[in-house]
Amino acid sequence: MSGWRRAAARASGLRLRLLLAFALLGLTTTAVVASGSYFQARRVILQQAQDAAVVSLTNELATIYPLHKLPPTQRDLDMLAQRLSGRDGYAVVFYHDLRAQGLTVADPLTPELRQAVRNGRVAWQRVSRDGEPVLLIGTQLRIDRSGGASRPSGIEVYTVRSLVPEQQSIDRLATLAWVTGGLSLALAVLLALLAARGVLRPVRELGRAAQRLGEGDLTTRLTVRGSDELADVARTFNDTAGTLERQVGELRRMEADARRFVADVSHELRTPLAAMTAVTDVLDEEADRLPGDAGRAARLVSEETQNLTRLVNDLIEVSRFDSGTARLALDDIDVAAAVTATLRARGWIDRVHAELPPGIIARLDPRRLDVIVANLVGNAFRHGAVPVTVRLHAEPDWIVIEVADHGPGLDPDVLPHVFDRFYKAETARTRSEGSGLGLAIAWENARLHRSAGQRGSLVAGNASTGGAVFTLRLPRAAADQAATGGVR
Amino acid sequence: MTGRRATRALLAGGALLALLSASCGVRPSGVINGGPAPVGQSAGVGVYLVRHGELELTMRQSGAQPAPAETLKLLVAGPDEAERDQGFTSEVPADLLPVAAVTATTDPPGLAVTMSGAVTTLSATAVDQIVCTVTDAVAANGQGAVYSPVTLIGPDGTRGPRRCPIK
Repeated sequence: MSGWRRAAARASGLRLRLLLAFALLGLTTTAVVASGSYFQARRVILQQAQDAAVVSLTNELATIYPLHKLPPTQRDLDMLAQRLSGRDGYAVVFYHDLRAQGLTVADPLTPELRQAVRNGRVAWQRVSRDGEPVLLIGTQLRIDRSGGASRPSGIEVYTVRSLVPEQQSIDRLATLAWVTGGLSLALAVLLALLAARGVLRPVRELGRAAQRLGEGDLTTRLTVRGSDELADVARTFNDTAGTLERQVGELRRMEADARRFVADVSHELRTPLAAMTAVTDVLDEEADRLPGDAGRAARLVSEETQNLTRLVNDLIEVSRFDSGTARLALDDIDVAAAVTATLRARGWIDRVHAELPPGIIARLDPRRLDVIVANLVGNAFRHGAVPVTVRLHAEPDWIVIEVADHGPGLDPDVLPHVFDRFYKAETARTRSEGSGLGLAIAWENARLHRSAGQRGSLVAGNASTGGAVFTLRLPRAAADQAATGGVR
Repeated sequence: MTGRRATRALLAGGALLALLSASCGVRPSGVINGGPAPVGQSAGVGVYLVRHGELELTMRQSGAQPAPAETLKLLVAGPDEAERDQGFTSEVPADLLPVAAVTATTDPPGLAVTMSGAVTTLSATAVDQIVCTVTDAVAANGQGAVYSPVTLIGPDGTRGPRRCPIK
């Protein structure tokens, strides 16, 4: 996964979800509460303003009674309109076709309001005049007749009152609601971040610990805080890690015991083997002179003693790798010369097609290089077919030696196990000439060469033209580190 | 999945906000009906005339409240100049005068007005003018209820009983 995708995944992760949930919750709550109180307050403000205006109008109208003259003249209506116009608004007075107005502006009276007034009710309506809210209140003037009855006088009075002050109050409320909403949103986000941190920190710690555990640090433990579900997870993790550490420790101890046993046995065998070798040397000399079966037996004993000696030596070598006591004896050598020396010492120099460009200097353990090359070439002769090719080339930091034969090549099933100890490719043949440890030792020797954290390698494969190819890569400047033998 | 859900939630929130901001401020309203129109006293003699075919109350200034019969005389006299200028007329003929005081009857309960001229030929509007003027005058004098039915009695017969149609 690329860094960007990981970042995107993290962004849409727990933190964002918590953030969104909290923000939505805060937003919804604030919206509902703020809008509810806003609408309520607006209703109350408007209702109070309207009621007050209506009461004020009816009070003023009460002062113009008793009526003296009907029909009124235009002058009467004008005076009435003047009287009813005040600081808050102005009045419009109708008597059928006659009309008087306190101000010379277009009146915003609506037909439905006039109809309601004609029906004998005090009626009012909020309208918008040039984007400015105005309250219209209208009523008839009626004349009392005894017995609870009244007659319409034909005079209709309307007042037009601006609602701008109320609008300003309501706008202030709205601003307050928005500010409250914004603050609560900010608070919600803050809380969400805190909550996310509280949840995410243990999760992150858990992830880091699991990674450390996966990398092999079995002593990793988490601090258990609190008693919630995350604490349970941490506790379970600790228990698991503890069990794992115990079991792995047990396994390691058993393995170390087994290895130490092999090493001890090998060492114990060395002394009697040395004596036996001395004896078989004598027997070898005498064998030709011994008659018949005795001579054959003497030669067999000598041969098997040699094999046993080789096996014990290989076992000791392997146990050195396993115990981590194998050390490099580094020297600056000409690789081509070293390989040539190896081939010549084994008497293979004429049977091998060698491509060894001279002048490639590398800092290596010459003995181990000799062991590896001898093993590979020996195997090529034993299991492959001639011609066997040894090819050396250099890279800036590495030298590469390829040993190829022209045999049938390695079976794909065999390939992964080629470097296993005592692994026999041909199961039918239970006895081979080697100890069965040669390639394993070669592999360990290659890996022992390290440079800047990188190890030498030995890789088995098949050439496209057929035949097995073993590729040895060694650093040109190997460092002598306290190397622990690789375990396969 | 999460993204789509988040988008939907954001859309809902946006719609809510838009709704809130759209309904801010003072909105226009429909007509709100309050109580009945204010009622006040009059200081004059009420006479019902006709304007554009409709019965209409006019008020004459006077010192004291006259008797109903006197008020009827004002009605018979018709609109004055100012009233005529504003389009008031009367359908009550000028020769129709009350010959006696307005009397209360018991069977049927109501008022009886005896006129000098023919009442059967009067137009319905003229009858209503008389009925309304009489009941208002009687009520103003404290002699009866406004809703009392009125019977017109003339030499040629009677009209009514009838109530004033103006509420």
